[in-house]
Amino acid sequence: MKASLQRAYWISRVTFLEAVRQRFFAFLVVLGAAMVLSSLSFRFLDFGHGELKFIADFGFGGMFLFGSVLGVVMTAQLFFSEMDNRTALTLLAKPLSRTEFLLGKFFGAWAVLAVFLGVLSLLLGGVMWWREQTILVQAEQRGLLPGVFSASGMFAYALLQWLRLGVVIAIVLTISSIARTFLFAVIVGALAVVAGQLQWIAQDVLLKPADNLAYKSFLWVSSRLLPNLQQFNIGDALVLEPASVPTDAVQWVVVSGIFYMVAYLVLASAIFRRREI
Amino acid sequence: MRKIAPWLASLALLIGAGIFSEYSWIKVRPCIPEIGRKELEPTLGQGVLLGIMGGLRTVVADLTWIRSYVLWERKDRPGCEALMRTACALDPHSRYFWENTGYAIGYDLAHWEVRKRGGYAKVPKETQDRLFRTYARRGLDVIDEGLKYSKNKVSLLLCAAQMSDMKLGDKQLASEYYRQAAELPNSPWYAARLHARIEWEAGKKPAAYTWYRQYWIVRMKDVDDGSPDDLMELREMENQLRLPLLSRIPRQSWEK
Amino acid sequence: MTSAISVRNLTKDFRIGIRGLKLRAVDDLTLEIPRGQVYGLLGPNGCGKSTTLKIILGLVPATAGEITILGQPSATASARERTGFLPEAPYFHKFLSGRELVRYCAQLSGVTAERVDQSVEEALALAAMTEAASRPIGTYSKGMLQRIGFAQAIVHDPELVILDEPTAGVDPVGSAAIGRMIHAMRDKGKTVVLCSHLLGQVEQVCDRVAIMDRGKLVLEGKVDDVLARRDRHVMTIEALTPAAQDAAETALAAHGAKVTSVTHPRRSLEDLFRELVTGSRDA
Repeated sequence: MKASLQRAYWISRVTFLEAVRQRFFAFLVVLGAAMVLSSLSFRFLDFGHGELKFIADFGFGGMFLFGSVLGVVMTAQLFFSEMDNRTALTLLAKPLSRTEFLLGKFFGAWAVLAVFLGVLSLLLGGVMWWREQTILVQAEQRGLLPGVFSASGMFAYALLQWLRLGVVIAIVLTISSIARTFLFAVIVGALAVVAGQLQWIAQDVLLKPADNLAYKSFLWVSSRLLPNLQQFNIGDALVLEPASVPTDAVQWVVVSGIFYMVAYLVLASAIFRRREI
Repeated sequence: MRKIAPWLASLALLIGAGIFSEYSWIKVRPCIPEIGRKELEPTLGQGVLLGIMGGLRTVVADLTWIRSYVLWERKDRPGCEALMRTACALDPHSRYFWENTGYAIGYDLAHWEVRKRGGYAKVPKETQDRLFRTYARRGLDVIDEGLKYSKNKVSLLLCAAQMSDMKLGDKQLASEYYRQAAELPNSPWYAARLHARIEWEAGKKPAAYTWYRQYWIVRMKDVDDGSPDDLMELREMENQLRLPLLSRIPRQSWEK
Repeated sequence: MTSAISVRNLTKDFRIGIRGLKLRAVDDLTLEIPRGQVYGLLGPNGCGKSTTLKIILGLVPATAGEITILGQPSATASARERTGFLPEAPYFHKFLSGRELVRYCAQLSGVTAERVDQSVEEALALAAMTEAASRPIGTYSKGMLQRIGFAQAIVHDPELVILDEPTAGVDPVGSAAIGRMIHAMRDKGKTVVLCSHLLGQVEQVCDRVAIMDRGKLVLEGKVDDVLARRDRHVMTIEALTPAAQDAAETALAAHGAKVTSVTHPRRSLEDLFRELVTGSRDA
């Protein structure tokens, strides 16, 4: 078991190094950071939400959008670069199981996203803290109740986003294990993310009390196979109104996310073991 | 059996994760602003999808609101209403969107409709009133919806009260909205007075006085200058009700 | 003592297209590859030799048949622990240096932390890559890529080394270097299986060969045995004059032998090239 984890670690290390050296990663980090910083310039678009909420929303949007793009495109790219360049051939001819190879890819990509989210969270936290200080002074002068932001809430949000992207990576690896081309994996992966984000709405729309049992059963099973990714998007509440989030809610979401990651990785491994390299 | 074991394990794990995520979703859902799907359907293709997916909801709502202004200037009734309702649905905690959507529907759309039909000189008074009532009702529906989500309810209640009074012509409804506004913290001084005045004018004089008096004692008497204008209004009510001296509000030291 | 590789009745069908038409790449192949020898698997492109190697390494599942490597069922991690593999036209992560790549492969192959440094340096030395080991792989020539590929294949001191087209695209000097490495492995008692369609090179380095065509085995045996023509002989004669030739032919005819051709011996172009450019090694 230790040797197995060790091998997965070596694969993930090289995967991480390969990913962080890519211009694509640097480009998305810069784009995300620019989005966080530009929220300060776009404050004039705000219609009475409160400045901190507006800035937070901009930053969360950057993390969500570019994180998802990175999670889908980079994971598929890291997987297919090994297949297309046939480096997988060299690696899998060694005493390395396919599950270890997939786990290595997963943890390597997930580590890259940890760096991505870490950088953007620190930047967003810094911007919000700076604006909070100004707002506190202004509010005190006017005798108003200022909006405040929670640093621990920001940490919890970054953690949840990291978990969400972990689920996304696991899904993309599952798709890549079946897919023959990079493009197919990216398109289907992106559709899976959109479907996961909108799954909760689709469930409400499609399921009606009068539906027959077979249809209900089909919906029940299919809606459980696809994760509800919306549950990770509670940034507003965590950062600006942490008291409104039930204490155990984050823990439940974390456990649910881990469950999905494990489930998709088991599925990806089962598929990949049958793949001809 | 060994061949299908990984598939069965994956399926069981996925369904297990799905069942588990139902519980986590129940816990988390109150923290995520509700989405009004009907409001979003007409505008889903216009970048709104990005707002529903996660993050950026406030930003997309703001941009949608700005686009609704363009249609407002063109006096495009369906387009303007659809985009304003979209902004409300995307960011239901925003008092601003609900209030201004309510105002736009209740006041502006009726006005545009009258102009479209030839203007105030041509359209009969009864038709004008009917149009104003119809749109006011729709505007009030929007505000009622906003009251479920927005934290700043006072402003929305006052908006609803004003619209009920001026456009719907329903004084009792306006009075009810004023009362609800008055009973909330941070309500403006005139909410209580207008509720009491409408009730008084509707003939419910003793009840109006009792409520207003109680409100003045609890909420106004010991705050700032003690609201002398409201006390004057109460004294006038006491005179008209011919209350005995002992039943009246005791004379205040600062009272002339 | 068990064979290095034992293949019994191996068949591999690929399904093509939506209708799932079968393409038989390997057809009922049976092979025994003995230990401690250099074994050449020959055949034209598409004859199934690379597919056979991939099946042996567990990269592709067989449709039918049994394979063992060093007495263990193939496609198991324990079998691969004792096997090294150099794929055809190898490509490695460009950002790693040669040394980093060999170290990475050593770690994946289960070389212990205490032995890693020594194993890496030994493999680099055997592949003559010590000098260039610190350079990023992206800067390597084709020959250097093959040599670093060879180093990663042998870094964990495997008992069996499988080389798929090890000299494809490599110049004769590089080919000769790879040939020397193969012999060095054999001298250490390792089994080397190589797959190639460059017959001249196979003839030089292999002890045994198998020839495949359309997925089937058509010939198998020792190189000397399969190439030798027992009914013909070659003599090399110095200072042969026409008179001496006539006399020799008459003498041979008296014993019932007949001279069928008299030509000058030729060096191979490869030998000539190596002789001329020996100093211009990749570096």
